[in-house]
Amino acid sequence: MTDAYIGTATGTRATTDEIKSDAPQRALGLHRELDRTWANDPGWRGQISAVNHTTLGLRFMGTALVFFAIGGILAMLIRTQLATPEGAFLDTEIYNQIFTMHGSIMMFLFAIPMLEGLAIYMLPKILGTRDLAFPRLTALGYWCYLFGGLILLFALLGGVAPREGWFMYTPLSGATYSPGINADVWLLGVTFVEISALAAAVEITVTILRQRAPGMKLTEMPLFAWYMLGTSVMMLVGFPPLILASVLLEIERAFGWPFFEVARGGDPLLWQHLFWLFGHPEVYIIFLPAAGALSTIIPVMCRTTILGYGAIVAAIVALVFLSFGLWVHHMFTVGIPHMALAFFSAASVLVAVPTAVQVFAWIGTMWKGRPDMHLPMYHIMGFFLTFVMGGLTGVMLAIVPFNWQAHDTHFVVAHLHYVLIGGFVFPMMAAAAYWMPQITGRARIKGLGEAAFWTILIGFHGTFFLMHLTGLLGMPRRIDVYPDNPEWIWLNLTSSIFGFVMTIGFALFALDLVLQAWLGPRSPRDPWRAPGLDWAMRLPPPSYNFASLPGPGRLDGGAQAAQGLARGEGLLPGAPRGRREVLVTGVGSARPELIAILPGNTALPLGLACAIGAFVLMMLSGLYWLTLPALALVAALIWVWARGMAQGHDAAPVEVAPGLSLPVHIHRHDTLGRTGTVCLLLADGTLFAALLFGVGFLSVVAPGWPPPELTGDPKLGAGLIAGLVGGLGLGAIAVRLGLRAQGNGGAVLPAAAVAFIANLAALACLIWLAVAVLDDPTRHARDALRGVLAGYAGLHALIAAGMAGYALDQARRGEIAGTRAGCMPAWRLWQDFAAVTALIAGAILIAQGSGA
Amino acid sequence: MTLLLAGCDGPLSTLAPAGPAAGDIALLWWGMLIGSAAITLLVGVLLALSFGPPRVRPVRYWTHGWGLGFSLAVLTTVLVAGLWIGERILPRDDGAVEVRAHAYQWGWRFAQPNAEGETVQTDGVLYIPAGRPVDVIVTAEDVIHAFWVPQLAGKVDAIPGRRNLLRIEADRPGTHDGLCAEFCGLGHATMRFELVAYGVDAPPDALADAPAAEEYADD
Amino acid sequence: MSFLARSLAGPMIWAVTFSVVYALHGAGCALGWDGVSAGPVSLHRAALVGSWILGLIAGLALLLRLPASGGLHAGLPRAGAWTGLVATLFTLFPVLVTSSCDTARALAVNFFIPV
Repeated sequence: MTDAYIGTATGTRATTDEIKSDAPQRALGLHRELDRTWANDPGWRGQISAVNHTTLGLRFMGTALVFFAIGGILAMLIRTQLATPEGAFLDTEIYNQIFTMHGSIMMFLFAIPMLEGLAIYMLPKILGTRDLAFPRLTALGYWCYLFGGLILLFALLGGVAPREGWFMYTPLSGATYSPGINADVWLLGVTFVEISALAAAVEITVTILRQRAPGMKLTEMPLFAWYMLGTSVMMLVGFPPLILASVLLEIERAFGWPFFEVARGGDPLLWQHLFWLFGHPEVYIIFLPAAGALSTIIPVMCRTTILGYGAIVAAIVALVFLSFGLWVHHMFTVGIPHMALAFFSAASVLVAVPTAVQVFAWIGTMWKGRPDMHLPMYHIMGFFLTFVMGGLTGVMLAIVPFNWQAHDTHFVVAHLHYVLIGGFVFPMMAAAAYWMPQITGRARIKGLGEAAFWTILIGFHGTFFLMHLTGLLGMPRRIDVYPDNPEWIWLNLTSSIFGFVMTIGFALFALDLVLQAWLGPRSPRDPWRAPGLDWAMRLPPPSYNFASLPGPGRLDGGAQAAQGLARGEGLLPGAPRGRREVLVTGVGSARPELIAILPGNTALPLGLACAIGAFVLMMLSGLYWLTLPALALVAALIWVWARGMAQGHDAAPVEVAPGLSLPVHIHRHDTLGRTGTVCLLLADGTLFAALLFGVGFLSVVAPGWPPPELTGDPKLGAGLIAGLVGGLGLGAIAVRLGLRAQGNGGAVLPAAAVAFIANLAALACLIWLAVAVLDDPTRHARDALRGVLAGYAGLHALIAAGMAGYALDQARRGEIAGTRAGCMPAWRLWQDFAAVTALIAGAILIAQGSGA
Repeated sequence: MTLLLAGCDGPLSTLAPAGPAAGDIALLWWGMLIGSAAITLLVGVLLALSFGPPRVRPVRYWTHGWGLGFSLAVLTTVLVAGLWIGERILPRDDGAVEVRAHAYQWGWRFAQPNAEGETVQTDGVLYIPAGRPVDVIVTAEDVIHAFWVPQLAGKVDAIPGRRNLLRIEADRPGTHDGLCAEFCGLGHATMRFELVAYGVDAPPDALADAPAAEEYADD
Repeated sequence: MSFLARSLAGPMIWAVTFSVVYALHGAGCALGWDGVSAGPVSLHRAALVGSWILGLIAGLALLLRLPASGGLHAGLPRAGAWTGLVATLFTLFPVLVTSSCDTARALAVNFFIPV
């Protein structure tokens, strides 16, 4: 990030080496002062207004465990049905709903929220800060997750759950073959949940880049943070294609715009490409945090340090990239030419290399140290055995001819459970055993955890090992009966019996967690004698994590660091100003740059999530006109949200340590909010790129082209598009003029007014274009895509106008004045982005006109 | 060993191949299985050895030696073998018999040449001459299905708006089971068909009696 | 920032080359480039191999520009450059050896089932 900022209220600067310690204070006094500021509201109000990362991280993980239990019960229903060849336990309709919901719940409502919860809970503690960058966003994410999940659950209870398989292939999921709301429940519910994934990804990225303890350089930060950085960037890039695909399919189902329907120029393969463009990176999004936990726990269990830190970081970078080049291996049988399959086959085997680097680095770590068989180590051994086997069957499936046989059989079912349970569930159980004392402050009750481990391990391999053979003997996925295939009976029966053994194991595991939290004896401060700032605090952790923040010399953490930090010897001790203050540092340098004041407890996230939920429910009910008031409510609440942190007077620099005082964020442009906007635009840009891919794909590959002639006046169209782009461009120039005026001590108001009007003019041009030039979007996929491109530009112009209006209001109130930046940094980025994407979209609209 | 192979038998078993493509792929599978078992064992041994006294190896021994070198060597071998076999079993322009499989919810309609060379239509049973390569043109009526005769070759999806091509060949006359492998709704589990490979000199009566093939809507 | 940018440059070269070659492959098969001759090979293969070689040259050039030593600060960009180069080589070598549009023959051939 740039160091450009305006004005004088910048405080003094210091390099990290010069930071001095504060004088020790009474730890209890500091604790009371901080807890008054940081604690949740008391009673039931605290439940709905909490924004604290510790509370919300635990809530995410707890809710994810509930969904894991529900998904597991569904799995048992599936195994009961398949235990006999002509099971009459479930009828086919219900069976289809159950396996669709099992996959969807485990992926979207268990695995992703679980890793988000772990990151939300752990990262501020590991990085040495007091909360995540955007606490209200954490809470919004949680409510969106909960409400989206509840919509799916209620649909299941009402018998209208999605039933098309968790990857919802079109045309089966289209309006013709899936009438009713089942598919809409999936598309809307899962997209609702994905808001939480994107929210978490933005905050995790910003927190890792900007809130590391001073002196904790990127190249020296704990590996868990590297893994989570890779995960969160992958989420920013991986989720938008699925969100786009879901939105397009919902538009097709609700309004008849064809994107996937062959007869009108769509292509079902576009869905598959967009789905797996998300779906394969998703596997690594799930694996990386688990690997991060392993890289943290293994050295502690072996009383040594991690081997090959640099190689592991390089492997993470390689995995992040390569995992986006594998998606077609889910589509080896759709009729793609052999050469293209070969690219993806090669990429799919190559991705095993960085994985192997990590596995061997972990084994090397164990050789270097002395492994102790504590409970986490049991689960890590379970991980090695299971994940290595899952990885090897993954390499097999990456080989094209073998894939042609094994695809869509129970071999794949076995493989994916080996990878997901081996690569995620076992490491998460290790993480639970490792961090439960940190979370609860209690030690576990001996014996039960080991029994749970052995039951799960035996149950798992009993269920899934022979299932490879079931698949090779030809049993496809997603069938409910097999009366003509007696050779599959003993295999399925075995899988079903051991499936129940595994379930008993998970029940024991859950019981162990509950007993530890409820009855466990008090844990010593750092029971594993682990390094790391996550152990440098009282257990269970206080609401503010650190009474004073760790800096250079205190980054090794552990119990020794805890006392000094609790006595206020670190940076930014206490909460003397009664505000939630955190330190913001530079991306690469980890130099302290400014103080961010975080928002306090508020029920606004719950309100906003309810408004979004109202929109989703109106869509589901088919009451499309009623979505408009819901959207207006969403916009109004976002305005209130932004107003909540606005400030119309200067803030004095804050003393962080003796001789070091830093400016408060309202006087700076390189704020957390600006970095967050960059992350959001990365996701938004990926969504736009996915849309461009869709345009190119359908134009070149889809059957049912060329489309009918365009009927709109091309000259008028080009003029209106020029008006759209010109208006947004003028807005971008006006932002710059406003910033320059502010730098010279002038007013921002005139520039904001110009930008507001320019954005409205751009929007007017676009509406005119939609009414007068664009063809009926239900006619052909080309016309539907033109409608979506225009809609994308229009939405961004509308938001740009909203931001200009907000800036106008802030300038009027004196919140953008002097050195107070207000919304200027974020607005500038958005305005530029809107102008550039509108230019590209407009160029395509014009080219489609002249090409035809 | 015999017992093991008997366990691999079955009308839909990929491990009981009856054609060149399925045979090649089964061979590939056995090779990969042996390699995978060896690698699993190796990792197990390395893990077991870690429980002794601490042993120091250079970092690169693990990250570069095992992590990069070993894995790249194994993976390159498997990849090249896979591409080689993949190319071998592709359809090619060699005048193979062409038949058509048209999938719908929930059944199969086939078109294939009879003894006189006329294209005739059958429902639920596909007739091909044994010992000769046959290219199946796979199409779909409504949603995505997949054509799969495990004993003869891999599968290919039947996708609305597209014609996919799959080469199959049966070594000997006989009957093989086929099924829809891609989930296609309520009737997915029962969307089976039969493939009859007949001796070239003994075309089945059913083929002679079958009606001429009709044109499908998407032609 | 530039440390992160330098570290991601190598994988980025792979990502761009991979996307370009895959897009050219799809477009070429759809537009019938494999039927157009460009010297000893088809226009299709020439375009694919050409893009691949450009990607390899870019990866190699990046690798040669980076300093050889200096801890993780220099090591991560270097590892990234190696990742990009090896990935480009490994994932796209099939442009040399595999058949380019064969399955698409089904789309091109005018198969007709008489009534």
